[in-house]
Amino acid sequence: MNREEAKTVLLLYRPGLADDADPQIAAALALAKHDQELARWLAEHGARQNALRAAFRQIAAPAGLKEQIISEQAALQKMAARRRRLAFATLAAAVAGLILLAALTFPFRPADDTFTVFRSRMVKIALRGYAMDLATNNAVEIRSYLARNRAPADYVLPASLQPVKMIGCAVQRWQNAKVSMICFHTGKPLPPGQQGDLWLFVVDRASVKSAPETDLPRLAAVNRLVTATWVKDGKLYLLETEGTAPAIRPYL
Amino acid sequence: MSLNVDFESLVALYYQPLYQFAFSLTRVEADACDFTQQTFSIWAAKGHQLKDTSKVKTWLFTTLHREFLGARRRQTRFPHVELENAALDLPVVPPNTASRVDAAHALAALAQLDETFQAPVALFYLQDCSYNEIAEILGVPIGTVKSRLARGLARLHQLLADVPPSKS
Repeated sequence: MNREEAKTVLLLYRPGLADDADPQIAAALALAKHDQELARWLAEHGARQNALRAAFRQIAAPAGLKEQIISEQAALQKMAARRRRLAFATLAAAVAGLILLAALTFPFRPADDTFTVFRSRMVKIALRGYAMDLATNNAVEIRSYLARNRAPADYVLPASLQPVKMIGCAVQRWQNAKVSMICFHTGKPLPPGQQGDLWLFVVDRASVKSAPETDLPRLAAVNRLVTATWVKDGKLYLLETEGTAPAIRPYL
Repeated sequence: MSLNVDFESLVALYYQPLYQFAFSLTRVEADACDFTQQTFSIWAAKGHQLKDTSKVKTWLFTTLHREFLGARRRQTRFPHVELENAALDLPVVPPNTASRVDAAHALAALAQLDETFQAPVALFYLQDCSYNEIAEILGVPIGTVKSRLARGLARLHQLLADVPPSKS
């Protein structure tokens, strides 16, 4: 490194700072120790650097700037907090509005463990298709199968239903109770794929809320089926067939 | 410097140097105040994202510089000048220059520098920032910082050499 190169490097040198840790500056400083002209230049340069530092540092912030920054920030924070509160209140109002709207739009749904729901569900099973667990014409086998599967098996068939041909049975579920489903064929012509046209569901009455208490059959039309409901010895009986009341009366 | 320091303490510590830096860039008091205030406002909103507690100072100066650049909407990129090329610009400075320089002269000379050189030179003199810190604040490599400083300081000294003697 020659003198001119050293001057170029030392142009960036600030006395008293960590600049002399820079290897290039350190080398230039070392050269200045043995070069009088460079040493003189360095001394003048150092004085200029210090004077410039001092000159720049004469810049003073306007009075009150600090206080202004702090107070404006506090005001901004207050405004932000107010906005957050407003946003929260708006959100809460929107949620309340949605809840109200939902309550008005979707009417109160009754509990789904009532007799009406039970009857509706058993009608759906008969209408939408079902698979018989046991296909047989033997009434004893059917009763035995239902007993083995812990479904109501001690049912009593009305006298007028006893001659009707049984074709099988299945075990359905209602809440936590088992429902015996006994399928009959009355002898009427059936559409292709349909096996039965008369269905009897038996369940413990206690497991169906609001179930009738009478042993006199009560008729009701549900969908395209007609149903008859009665209670006997703690069991709820639900007989279903397609058509209207005259279609089911012969079996009650 | 702990990040847990409260806002008022941070302002007390840095508002003066930030203002000095902003003023050296803008040379307009109102603008310098705005940039300083804006920097602290950004700190209040985003300062918690800073994980390294030793970077608070650099973060503040970087933010102020970015705000300044954004405000100026400058489109041109800074040219990269190697340090070796700067040797040609070494000024011949009279020995008595130092005694004739005050803040007004220094700022007037700084204002005459190319914008590329103003920020590094201001950080160099105002804050005693290391080359690494200047590089970090300006977002340029350290070699670029040194080359800009070399050219900027050479030009600054040359300008100040032409300053007439102070009446005071």
